[in-house]
Amino acid sequence: MTNRRLALVLLLSVVILPCAVQAKQLAIVTDKATSASNLTASELVKIFTAHSRTWPDGKAITVVMKDPSSADMQLVLRKLLNMTPEQAHAFVLAHRDAIMVADSDDAVLRFVSTSPGAIGVVDLYSLTQDVNVLKIDGKLPVEQGYLLRGN
Amino acid sequence: MIRNIITSLAVLGLLLAAGVAQQTAPQQVASQQANPLTAVLPLTTKSPEARRLVQEALDLYLDRVEQEQAIDILRKAVQVDPDFAMGHEYLAQISLDSAEQVSEQEKAFAARSHASASEQMVIEWYQDAADHKLISAITKMNDVLNQYPHDKWVVWMTTWWLQNQAQYERVIAVYEKSGITDSPGLINNIGYNYAYLRQFDKAFAMMDKYVALLPNDSNPQDSYAEILRLAGRFNQSIEHYRASLVINPEFYSSQFGIADTYSLMGDQARARKEYEIGFQKFSLPELQQVLWKTREAATYVREGDNDGAEHAFQTIADYAHSRHNSQAEADTYRQMAICEQNPKQALVFLGQAEAATQEGKNALRIAISQELAQILRARVEVALKMGNKEMANSNLARLSDMSETANDKLIEVAYHGATGAVLFSERKYDQAISHLEEDTNNPFSLKLLAAAYQKIGYSAGAKRTNDTLTNLNDPTLEQALIVPAFRKCSEGASCGGNAKSASLKK
Repeated sequence: MTNRRLALVLLLSVVILPCAVQAKQLAIVTDKATSASNLTASELVKIFTAHSRTWPDGKAITVVMKDPSSADMQLVLRKLLNMTPEQAHAFVLAHRDAIMVADSDDAVLRFVSTSPGAIGVVDLYSLTQDVNVLKIDGKLPVEQGYLLRGN
Repeated sequence: MIRNIITSLAVLGLLLAAGVAQQTAPQQVASQQANPLTAVLPLTTKSPEARRLVQEALDLYLDRVEQEQAIDILRKAVQVDPDFAMGHEYLAQISLDSAEQVSEQEKAFAARSHASASEQMVIEWYQDAADHKLISAITKMNDVLNQYPHDKWVVWMTTWWLQNQAQYERVIAVYEKSGITDSPGLINNIGYNYAYLRQFDKAFAMMDKYVALLPNDSNPQDSYAEILRLAGRFNQSIEHYRASLVINPEFYSSQFGIADTYSLMGDQARARKEYEIGFQKFSLPELQQVLWKTREAATYVREGDNDGAEHAFQTIADYAHSRHNSQAEADTYRQMAICEQNPKQALVFLGQAEAATQEGKNALRIAISQELAQILRARVEVALKMGNKEMANSNLARLSDMSETANDKLIEVAYHGATGAVLFSERKYDQAISHLEEDTNNPFSLKLLAAAYQKIGYSAGAKRTNDTLTNLNDPTLEQALIVPAFRKCSEGASCGGNAKSASLKK
């Protein structure tokens, strides 16, 4: 990238190449009324595999996620659930009462922000003030070592 | 060409709809927020003249490629109304002077109580980003965007910020949702985003529109050329660079673009000839001179002419030293080190690089720190090449300390790249991946990442990364050192299996 009106390039050759394989970061979100602020990875697995169906206060948990074959969900399947997209599809079909599939981050956010007890996964850059972001194992998405970060 | 490669953030802009009062009242903000189809972000100032200047500056910046003029006008605007918070914010974002970027951001933040709630949200978004409060910054950005999804300047702010965060898909989504089709500046930037995603048909379509909107400007031709080069269509790229120079013979980046393109095509003699034409024809700012001299030196690297490369780089280092430009001198020695086959000599160059950073002449402290981080990273890689784990770990520890305290993205990325390399050498592939994935703009890390994915059996990731690396057409030294050899490896029978699945797209 160049520009006749660009001023000087301070760091001359540190490579700043645009690259389509930038690491993704996903955020686990809940509605504002849910009091949880941190989950361990194993607690999260239990929620997403429908083994945990209620929050500590007794509220029912509804999981909402994008299609298991989407790029974001493949990261979740690989890093968290150890499932293939096909296994995840089958799992979602078998647990329609507890797991919902939405077609976009906006839809996930809309559902979570208006559904007490809902928990969802969205891209970090989709976040709005309408939801809470949970830590996983004490870490927020932007912190080193955060689980749901990668390609 | 895409504007401003220095600032991490870019132009901000606001236009008032006709009839909006000079000082936006809260009721007006509320009514604008009520209809996102037509809402425009307010622009609050007590001075109509200051507002007019800002509007003029933003138009010059975004759609007429006149950045320096735009900056001068913004400076006048904030002189007219020193409490003009968004005026300061725009200047912070488009200034080419890093000290001014910082001071203007501070002024914008301090003056934000004079602005409307929406403007305050914008200023706080950028302030949070500067303070590395990324989640809060993202939330505020999206809240502003949701209020003004069709406002050209909000779309511009959002897409440029996201582009700098490498969120290319999201940039395109925001743009498409905006419905804006007549802004040359936005079209140019969206074209680049398609190119970064390697969706070249869409990128070329954007460039066709850009050329049609500004047929008498060199910049569309220059952008088109760069995108064609990214796609590996080198001959067409050169045609567009030449078209740019026909429109404006003083558009020097196109001359050097031609040279860079010949270099990527493998014609190093022709590349050097074109660089020399540029050096003789144009009087370049000092660091631009160093930048393209460095590209010229890389032609020798591409030819495997180590002596030629060393001589060319040494000439640049001597020039930088004579100009008391410590960072340029340090960076040149660092590059000599990463080209050097003999690890002991590489360490000598790195010693010279570090000595230059210690002199620190004519350079910002942060720039020197960033350079030092790159040097430490290079030391780690040289140590790994020597099999000296102790040396690798001691330099990594220094880099880790810097990364924890500097709060700087480039330094953090250098740390991740170095840590990934160390972990890879220890065959801790899972751990290596989590660090290398933070440094995917660097061909050295990309190569290791592809191999690490392969080692853990993540074939899709390995293939995607191999493809990215194979099709990387950027005229940098790092590309010269890694990509041509990687392509040969992927085509030949002498390499490990992980590179062979890569496909070269033309």
